[in-house]
Amino acid sequence: MTSFAMEWYLIALMLFVGFYGMLASRSIVRQLIGLEIVSKAAMLALISAGALSDNLVYAQALLLTMIVIEVVVVAAGLALLVKTFRINGTADIWRLDSLKG
Amino acid sequence: MKDYSALLFALTVFFSLWAVMARKLLTSAIMLALVSVCVSLIFFDFGAPWAGVFELSVCAGLITVLFIGAVSLIRSDEEKRPEGRAAFLALPLAAAIFAIAGWFYLPAFFTELADWVRPGNGRATLGQALWELRRPDLLGQILMLAAGVFVIKSVFPRRNEK
Repeated sequence: MTSFAMEWYLIALMLFVGFYGMLASRSIVRQLIGLEIVSKAAMLALISAGALSDNLVYAQALLLTMIVIEVVVVAAGLALLVKTFRINGTADIWRLDSLKG
Repeated sequence: MKDYSALLFALTVFFSLWAVMARKLLTSAIMLALVSVCVSLIFFDFGAPWAGVFELSVCAGLITVLFIGAVSLIRSDEEKRPEGRAAFLALPLAAAIFAIAGWFYLPAFFTELADWVRPGNGRATLGQALWELRRPDLLGQILMLAAGVFVIKSVFPRRNEK
């Protein structure tokens, strides 16, 4: 087995763990942690593919954009968490619909 | 795959499992930071130092601080209404089933995928890539940051005195 295949196999395992965490929990924090794990797996895949094709520079440039997007998504998600916790007193993701209107 | 790199990948998967399975949210947040540290070390190992530095400072630093702040806010709710543990305790079993089933298909598929690669020249510097070749990305980043500020502003509007 090639090194690339082994790396991507472990990345696929990490993706599975992240998605499982998002599916198994109703807490907004755990959902975001699952999303972060999925995002880390995607970053590893990007850099691994960049290294394979000798295009690490472009992969890094793309990854910087990805990190900025990740930070904004997490900040927005945690802002929603704080808001819903103030209104409902719980971090249950199914109570987010109470924020509508 | 080098031993050092394989160890880092294995640690990343292990800390991911721990982050999802941890009973306390604070432990989950800290494990996520350790995942970020391992990922940044992998980036350094790949020869991508800029990605490693950003990952270490932003993801392992800033995002962990945000998570720990949020966890400390909802800690009372976590203690009052703990989640059922059955789904989390089943994760190692589910991950093992996925790993065993995937072992027969995924490596062969990824090996074939690697055969399709078209090698690049790899000569540009990161400065050239960021400031010349991928300049529109910077506009996208600025717009994303503005969108984040807008979301936070709309989620927490200024309170009306009346």
